[in-house]
Amino acid sequence: MTDLVRARLRTTVLLIVAVLVETTLGSDLRIAGVAPDFMILVVICAGLTGGTLSGAFVGFWAGLLYDMFLTATPVGLSALTYCLIGAAIGALRTSVLQERKSLLPAAALIGTAAGVLLFVGAGDVLGQTQLLGAGRAWLIRVMIVESLWNAVLALPVGYVYAWVARGSAGAERVGSPVRRTSRSAVPTVK
Amino acid sequence: MAVYRRSSRTRNIIVVLVLLALTFVTIDARSHGGGVLSEVRSKVSDAFSPLQRATHAALRPIGNFLTGALDYGSLKRENERLRQELAQQQSEAATAQAEQQDAEQVLHNYQLDKGVLGSIPFASVQIIQAGSSNFDNTVTINKGTDAGIAVGQPVLAAGGLVGTVVSTSSRIATVELVSDPNFRVGVSLSGGNTGSAAGAGRLLPMKVDVVSTDHSPPQEQVGQIVVTSGLAMERFPKGIPVGKVSKVVTIPGAIEPEIDLQPVVDPTSISYLDVALWSPQQ
Repeated sequence: MTDLVRARLRTTVLLIVAVLVETTLGSDLRIAGVAPDFMILVVICAGLTGGTLSGAFVGFWAGLLYDMFLTATPVGLSALTYCLIGAAIGALRTSVLQERKSLLPAAALIGTAAGVLLFVGAGDVLGQTQLLGAGRAWLIRVMIVESLWNAVLALPVGYVYAWVARGSAGAERVGSPVRRTSRSAVPTVK
Repeated sequence: MAVYRRSSRTRNIIVVLVLLALTFVTIDARSHGGGVLSEVRSKVSDAFSPLQRATHAALRPIGNFLTGALDYGSLKRENERLRQELAQQQSEAATAQAEQQDAEQVLHNYQLDKGVLGSIPFASVQIIQAGSSNFDNTVTINKGTDAGIAVGQPVLAAGGLVGTVVSTSSRIATVELVSDPNFRVGVSLSGGNTGSAAGAGRLLPMKVDVVSTDHSPPQEQVGQIVVTSGLAMERFPKGIPVGKVSKVVTIPGAIEPEIDLQPVVDPTSISYLDVALWSPQQ
């Protein structure tokens, strides 16, 4: 078994653990009624670590797994959202984002806000109008609080992801964001 | 050239994943909770429920600690308010007990029943997932069809309406909370009026649409408890407390007032619920 296969197996286990934590502990961690989203954090880490394709793949499977535990929205909506967010973060990482200490929290902040907007926007377009039933004020509150929550949780989750994805190129990028300065080493396809 | 081929492959794979996700959404949305994907979701939830229970039990102390730390200020205020309420209710309890005895005596004398609620069996359930998504006003409970739980049954806690069962599998069930924007319940109002109370989202009060009739407009007071109407075709039996009136506004020119209800029970603060094993046909 190669290091890459081991890393993929560990990532699968991490997704299962993340969804269990999200559906149990996550709902207890509410500030102003808003809970963090561990699943999108893992997806953002995957995008930063493995690039566009890795972000899209991990995002799709993470979303599909999370959809199994959501009852108010159809299966596939989280998969669609996380897949696009993972791919976007990966694409930005390979082309735009510079290596900085604040890269992961900043990516978590912006990626989460975009994820909330995309989830509600895509859901509304696909007929899930109840997502806007609580009003725009609730949407804005969720977007702000969830983004801040995820920015705070980004570093611990990032270190866990780096440990899990060890063996795959770029894993240390999330765990130790200041170690490398070059963007050229980011793999795009595995 | 190699770079171009690689980026083209990446793009194609992402397009396939997006189309796959859109297909899932379309199939599931069109099946209205009764298709293959709902079946898969139900099976996966069932398979994961033991793991969820174990994780819930293991992480509960951490969750409680963090919840306490995050909500310290509001918990302190809540504690003070509850102490005041307890003191007030203890003094009222003695009076109520005497009145209760009188009422029971009257019911007994006139051979009246105790209403629909008194005759309904209940199943006690525990919340194993308290709605992790910020747009999902549902909770998952630890019993399903094996325990007689069925879609449409009312769910109560501390004597107040919490929601209704919207999906079941053999070992778990999902409860739609009164705060969900899709939730509707018929309520009785003063002066022989009725209305429809609807959820408006997490932490927000329910909104009551008063049904216009020949009766004079309802004169609800802030703090008054509103109960289910139990009319024909209603999903809930009569007399379940739904919420406490938190605001009454009569807009100039409007016939009916706008009424806000604060749900009697905050389902996010409790762990156990009661499912009424009742159907509207009863």
